[in-house]
Amino acid sequence: MIGAIPLSDVLLVSGALFSIGIAGALLRRNAIQIFLSIELMMNAANLALIGYGAALGTREGQIVVFFVIAIAAAEAAVGLAIFVALFRHTETIDVNESNLLKW
Amino acid sequence: MTAGRLIFDLAAAAAIVFSGLMVVGRNPVRSVLSLVVAFFALAVCFVLLLAPFIAALQVIVYAGAILVLFLFVLMLLNVGREVPDKNVRPIQRVLGSAAVLVFAGLLLGMFRHSGSHVPAAADPVDPAMLGDPAALARLLYSDYLLHFEAVSVLLLAALVGAFVLARREHAS
Repeated sequence: MIGAIPLSDVLLVSGALFSIGIAGALLRRNAIQIFLSIELMMNAANLALIGYGAALGTREGQIVVFFVIAIAAAEAAVGLAIFVALFRHTETIDVNESNLLKW
Repeated sequence: MTAGRLIFDLAAAAAIVFSGLMVVGRNPVRSVLSLVVAFFALAVCFVLLLAPFIAALQVIVYAGAILVLFLFVLMLLNVGREVPDKNVRPIQRVLGSAAVLVFAGLLLGMFRHSGSHVPAAADPVDPAMLGDPAALARLLYSDYLLHFEAVSVLLLAALVGAFVLARREHAS
């Protein structure tokens, strides 16, 4: 099949996606959008792992991505449960409003 | 430029554009849907990088299950669009943007140099067999069995944790 994509291009895309995710996590206030940005950062890392796996000719990158996807599923379940509990408690999921533990 | 290269470039551009829309948009439902499109584009990239099994997982688990869970919770909580907040000081936005720019510059600069020289693996797999699900499964259930079991325990713990966290408390 096609295996002719240079690693540097894959890493460029991965870095761009990770930076977009960082921007979202730092600049948004809606907890769900921050969480989505974190998912995006994980996917950027997955892309880098698969790119390195293809460039090196090993399967370990894909195995790691498999585990990342499984852990992301666990993280999404717990994180969204936290948001549901937070929303019940404070009627908002704006992270600026949730400052109960701040002081 | 080969066809695969062209498709990779298009898919990567789509992934970047739709993730940008995800971050910029104020409507959370639209953000989730943009991210679904971006993850589909990433799955296309994974296929072109010789990982078709991971691409299938990406579509089924990430776009299909995780993001639908996000949509479900968004609809359940009925979260509206983000309103501009007067409490946010401009300095926060400026410092946040500056941090993002510095980080992006560092990351891309680092990747630009690390992508050019890749050390050769000891015994590279035949590229056509790299994403073979049977070979991946054999590796997963032999060398990575312990990790696999640990992840299954983690998923169980997350299941119980999510249940406990989201449960309605009758006592209070």
